[in-house]
Amino acid sequence: MRRPGLALCPLALAPILALAQQTVAPTGARVGEARGEDVGDYNVLNSFETGYRFLDVGGNRGKYRSDVNFRNGIRLLSSSLSVNSKEGRARWFDTLQLNTQGLGNDPYQYSNLRVEKNALYRYDLIWRSSDYFNPALGLAQGWHAMDTTRRLQDHDFTLFPLGAFRFFAGFSRATQSGPALSSVQLFDSRGDEYPLFSNVDRRQNEFRIGSEVRLAGFKLHWIRAWESYREDTPALRETRSSGANPTDNNVLNQFKRTEPWEGSTPSWRVSLLRDNNRYWGVNARFTHSDGQRDFAFDETAIGTNRFGGAVNRQVLVAGTGRRPVTAASLTLSLFPAANLTVTNHSGFHNTRIEGDARLQELDNGSLLNSLVSFNYLGIRTFTNQTDALLRITPRIALRGGYWFANRRIRSTERESVFDFANTVQAQQTNTQHAGVAGLRLQPVRPLTLVFDAEIGRNDRPFSPISDRDYHAFHARAQWKQRSFAVTAFARTNYNFNTTSLLAHSSRSRNYSANLSWLPRDWFTLDAGYSKLHLDTATGIAYFASGRFVQGERSIYRSNLHAGHFGARFAIRSRIELYTGYSHTQDSGDGRSVLETPPAGLDPGSSLALFRQAQTFPMRFLSPLARVSVRINSKLRWNVGYQYYGYGEELLDLQGYRAHSGYTSVLWSF
Amino acid sequence: MVNPLRLLVSIALFAIAFAHGEPNYVGSAVCKTCHPNVWANFYKNPHYQTLALGKPAPQSGCESCHGPASDHVAAKGDKTKIVAFSVLAPEKVLDNCLACHANTLGRANIRRSSHTTARVACNSCHSIHRASQPKYLLAKPQTALCFDCHQNVRAQFSLPFKHRVIEGFMQCSDCHNPHGAAAPTWSMGVRPRMVDTALGNEQPCMKCHVDKRGPFAFEHPAVRVDGCESCHAPHGSANARLLRRPQVFPLCLECHSGGAADSGFGRQGDGIRPQSASHNMADPRYRNCTTCHVRIHGSNADRRFLR
Repeated sequence: MRRPGLALCPLALAPILALAQQTVAPTGARVGEARGEDVGDYNVLNSFETGYRFLDVGGNRGKYRSDVNFRNGIRLLSSSLSVNSKEGRARWFDTLQLNTQGLGNDPYQYSNLRVEKNALYRYDLIWRSSDYFNPALGLAQGWHAMDTTRRLQDHDFTLFPLGAFRFFAGFSRATQSGPALSSVQLFDSRGDEYPLFSNVDRRQNEFRIGSEVRLAGFKLHWIRAWESYREDTPALRETRSSGANPTDNNVLNQFKRTEPWEGSTPSWRVSLLRDNNRYWGVNARFTHSDGQRDFAFDETAIGTNRFGGAVNRQVLVAGTGRRPVTAASLTLSLFPAANLTVTNHSGFHNTRIEGDARLQELDNGSLLNSLVSFNYLGIRTFTNQTDALLRITPRIALRGGYWFANRRIRSTERESVFDFANTVQAQQTNTQHAGVAGLRLQPVRPLTLVFDAEIGRNDRPFSPISDRDYHAFHARAQWKQRSFAVTAFARTNYNFNTTSLLAHSSRSRNYSANLSWLPRDWFTLDAGYSKLHLDTATGIAYFASGRFVQGERSIYRSNLHAGHFGARFAIRSRIELYTGYSHTQDSGDGRSVLETPPAGLDPGSSLALFRQAQTFPMRFLSPLARVSVRINSKLRWNVGYQYYGYGEELLDLQGYRAHSGYTSVLWSF
Repeated sequence: MVNPLRLLVSIALFAIAFAHGEPNYVGSAVCKTCHPNVWANFYKNPHYQTLALGKPAPQSGCESCHGPASDHVAAKGDKTKIVAFSVLAPEKVLDNCLACHANTLGRANIRRSSHTTARVACNSCHSIHRASQPKYLLAKPQTALCFDCHQNVRAQFSLPFKHRVIEGFMQCSDCHNPHGAAAPTWSMGVRPRMVDTALGNEQPCMKCHVDKRGPFAFEHPAVRVDGCESCHAPHGSANARLLRRPQVFPLCLECHSGGAADSGFGRQGDGIRPQSASHNMADPRYRNCTTCHVRIHGSNADRRFLR
């Protein structure tokens, strides 16, 4: 006899689904018989949620589209189809699972499909589409806006998925297309900047085959892949433009740029692994990829320079870039005792970026024909990590480790494109040592405590903001019972990178706590708060009003508070109410208005130049509510509302308020 | 009601089991008499394949994971007489699951992964009998699972600019391997952890942002040496393009400030070049670095990334 409470266990998970949901639709609730319908040798479980999204936006619509982007219209908000053979020995397939989200015209569409015949084959498909709209108002004067669509698909086929010999074949495709803006600086270093229109068209395909064979307890796995990439994003300006600086006399009358780019990256990946031995486990990996890109660049600009003279410039570049990458790793795990695990991992990675190119530049009749100085960059990294985990008792464990990395960077570059004599070759190595230690405790069964510390030293970081002298602490406490879980988390990351002229310090402190409570079938609660603090101070130097300013610091402070809350109520299994609230606020360094630099201040002082850039107080909040009513055993009606509000404290040019919502019908059988 | 026939079979198998001193395999048919709720939907579980293929008891059905059940049956369901994952130490859970699932490339590094060392075992995320996600038997949708522990990351994905994880377009496993990444082969190698490489040994960013992949005649070395995170916050940011600063010029100047010859910075190891003397930071025009340096990720036609 069926025990109803347990038999409908997927229904019992509905509250969890709801709590995880941040967007108001699709609905998390489920209807219908969770066991599905029997059709022949199969059991079929199906659901569709279809409805209408509505939207009203006030304020900066571009920023709304960048952050949220849900629109009006009819949608297949979600769908799910599961077909399972009851005996596991059906003729064509034993499992078919299809899930979709947002199909119709949502900005974020996703679907995945799995078809499987037990022990014979498995096929997985993931397809997704994202509307990427970014006005980028804070960047490049808003001239780098993009309104593109990115589509990704991955197909993976496995033959004999449970066998000693497995065969893989796969295909992936990624495309990005749509209009965008760009900019160009012409005609010399004292020229002007001009906006351009471009049509983004990028396509990548990847084919792969491989197999896996099990021999003498080891598994040998290899994959051969061929990636091809093609981009043709022309930029155009057909009308006359005076540029970004009206006081400047440079004028661009016509501009055209084409730059097709095409290439391939064949790669090998070979792995050998074993992990079913009582005393040891090993895995080794070798990969090699050999990327190559052929490129051509043709740019024509016609205009007048700052003296009013006609300027015609054409730049032609063609060439080939190559990037062979080789990586290998060996991981050895030892289990000398039942309570001790020692793991050593060695890794090697080598990248070379090299190529050749020809450049031809024609400038008002002068002809220059030269080789482009394709800069060589080679990076070789060797890493070794040893970690040990000792379980002193079943409830106390210690962890320790030593990590080592050595990197060599080789570089060849010319100071000027046309200056063959002044070729600079450089080689440097840097070494990083890091130690880690940790303690895991379980004083009582529901409580888990984890403490970790890491300290590292790098003798030659690549940039002022790279890790040099760093340390990190991490602690986590979790109390977890059947219907109740509380988690608290703290992490600090400090990095100091000081040289004789520049000093950089970065201090990051994260604290968070989360509560999940599922006391009854009809009531669940989830709430959390995080504080992410970051302050950095970095020595900078720059030119201002003809003077080289040194000894200044760029200081950035962010105090991010993020909280979320969600509660679900069910009334007699018929009506389900979900309310949630998400609030993210950066309080910056505490200021709420722009500071005006004092009169007469040295223009080279960071006080005038940088203060307004060093903090970015803003708030982004989103309450939501949803009601779902069970009409009958197969049908549910849903309605929901979600508000999005965004505002900036210092200069609120991008603020918006969006009222979004939906009504839908969820049908399951 | 318990089916009398089933009960009879169970008793018979139970008697056979007791004839031996050590626990014996009794077969899944016995298990379902007391666990009908688990059995009812088990044919939808990927582990059902072992039964469907007719493998013998140690390699199939309930006892392939829970061990021989004769003592458990004799003790009328005593959890201590069987491998019960709900009371098993995380290390034992891992050992049990890896008995079958070890030899998979994606789990090759699970023994040394951050999750394992933090006692996060398989059943922390996977629910074999009560999975909300049939694919991979996840206890919750993947995003909710990860956010349960990684609250600070959830906060980052709640920022205005973010990868669309909460919206369902992406998942954490698009970039991370929760079972332990193979070898972080950019940056200084030892960090970041749990980040999976793209097939061409690159940062996972390059899986989608293929136009940034190069190789370029003129690479921006920071991208290749220290990685995309030098300038971008990959989870989320309050700033456009996921930048680490609200405006571009402080981000650029924090590296492009010269530096002493002893600093070791830059591709030549003698400091990173400051901006040109023709720039005047007192003029707002020069504070929009990428208006001119449009190809900041790398260029095939200009060493200063102007085109």
